[in-house]
Amino acid sequence: MAQTTQEATQAGALVLMFQLAGKAFAVDLGRVQQIIDYRTPTRTPRPPAYVEGVIEHRGCYLPVVSLRQRFGVTDEEPLHPAILLLTEVGPDPIVGLAVDQVLRVLSLPRDAVLAPPPRVFGIRAEFIRGVANAGGRPIVWLDVTKILASTEVITLLA
Amino acid sequence: MEARTLARQRTHGLTKARAAREQVLLFRVGGEVYGIGLHALWEVLLPEGVTGLPTPPYQVCTALAYRGRRLPLIRMSELFGILAERVPLTSRVLLIQAQGRPLGLLVDEVLEMIEVESAALAPVPALATLLRSEIFRGLFRRGERIILVVSEEGLGGLQEVGQFYGG
Repeated sequence: MAQTTQEATQAGALVLMFQLAGKAFAVDLGRVQQIIDYRTPTRTPRPPAYVEGVIEHRGCYLPVVSLRQRFGVTDEEPLHPAILLLTEVGPDPIVGLAVDQVLRVLSLPRDAVLAPPPRVFGIRAEFIRGVANAGGRPIVWLDVTKILASTEVITLLA
Repeated sequence: MEARTLARQRTHGLTKARAAREQVLLFRVGGEVYGIGLHALWEVLLPEGVTGLPTPPYQVCTALAYRGRRLPLIRMSELFGILAERVPLTSRVLLIQAQGRPLGLLVDEVLEMIEVESAALAPVPALATLLRSEIFRGLFRRGERIILVVSEEGLGGLQEVGQFYGG
């Protein structure tokens, strides 16, 4: 997997860009199986702090992780929320990641991705695959697998 | 084909169809609906024999007085991490058989009995809950709602129940 990621970065990478609390983030496009409109999940008993519940999509039941809750975002609710169906990011075959708004697919050339500084918007570098620039706007390329596996409190700073 | 063979095949088919469906009792805990296989249910009781009601803080496992016996009772709202200020008037005790022993489940309301195709029960996603996976048999969709079905064996295997029985 590490080798594949390295190869992808060397050749440039395709990422899906989305918005959360007014900031631009990205995930590997290869992990995105589908994007669906946000729907309220059914709450589950004693969920992890950032899990909203479960939804059913085409016969598959999957947990929905709120990236807002994971990053401690409490400002007003988004107008166009979406759920990214991600594969191979957690213990379940598919995990839903609720974000504020999907922006676009972006091709990041190899030399456009920079190693992150120790913290970006309060997020430690361990949870970031790289940072890039799209039209003067910083994009934080997240390592969702590590974000879900960790119990560390992550607080998004303004 | 003989009529008798045909009839036998039809009967066999019906039995298989019946076996593939099971009856599930739906109950409410907090704002969500859960289910339990009807085969495990002995009786539905008013929560009169529950000790320590209605004063919080509650423990997950308490005692239920039942026909001169003292049985373990799981407060489902406590188990599920739902802050309940009081036991609602609609609450009931589901007396079930779990691991060969009686066990009471205090729920907020008994709703209805439905039939579910056994094949429709899907595993509960690992990320969905911090509770032990053995507590649930699976989940299924009913309309817009997803219903988690609890496992009587999993509930009977809870450490608190084992301690109640002196295990």
